[in-house]
Amino acid sequence: MNERLGNRLKERRTELGLTQGELAEMCLVSRKTINTVENGVFIPSTLLSLKLAEALGVSVEQLFWIER
Amino acid sequence: MSYRDRPEFDQPTAESVQRSRRTVAWMIALLIVQQGTAIFRHGADISVQVMGILAWAAVTLTLLWMVFGLPVRWLSERDQAILNDEWNCAISGDAARWGISALAIIGCGLMLARIWEPLDAGLAIYGLVNGALIVTVLRYAWLNRAEPGEDE
Repeated sequence: MNERLGNRLKERRTELGLTQGELAEMCLVSRKTINTVENGVFIPSTLLSLKLAEALGVSVEQLFWIER
Repeated sequence: MSYRDRPEFDQPTAESVQRSRRTVAWMIALLIVQQGTAIFRHGADISVQVMGILAWAAVTLTLLWMVFGLPVRWLSERDQAILNDEWNCAISGDAARWGISALAIIGCGLMLARIWEPLDAGLAIYGLVNGALIVTVLRYAWLNRAEPGEDE
């Protein structure tokens, strides 16, 4: 089964006028983590997904979904 | 661009440790090879050999510290969280998997080689440990290469 994690991290971050560095700072991760999650290279843990959703003011489901 | 207080100017921050992780890793493989020549130099004085082994142990431990991120007590909680974040844990794990595979392959190679050629124990240990370490560090360095731009 070919599944991947879709996300609208970049879209939401840009809406809020945040840089990757600023979002990384808010979630206490490196900018590389944010960059790789945005590009679909890295699948974040539940904890980080919740932190990202909280920082961006949306629910996890609005931020991430499974692409089939 | 935002600024952050940095009261202890003599201590590295998460950003500086990250930078050195990216740049130094490529050099360490060379250092290990260079030290190997000192350890196994024919006719070397015992003190030279001991010095070589100590230097080798220091580089090896530094490598493990760098790749697997042992606690760095001088850093703030924020810096420690950033340094050992999920991306770093993921690439450390991947690098370790490569290292263990290299260990197994080199070990099998040495076991086969000893059928035809008697092996020197020191050289075998050195080859096994360093082969695995070099693979681990290079894999880590590759996955941790250059910080991407905002929109890359």
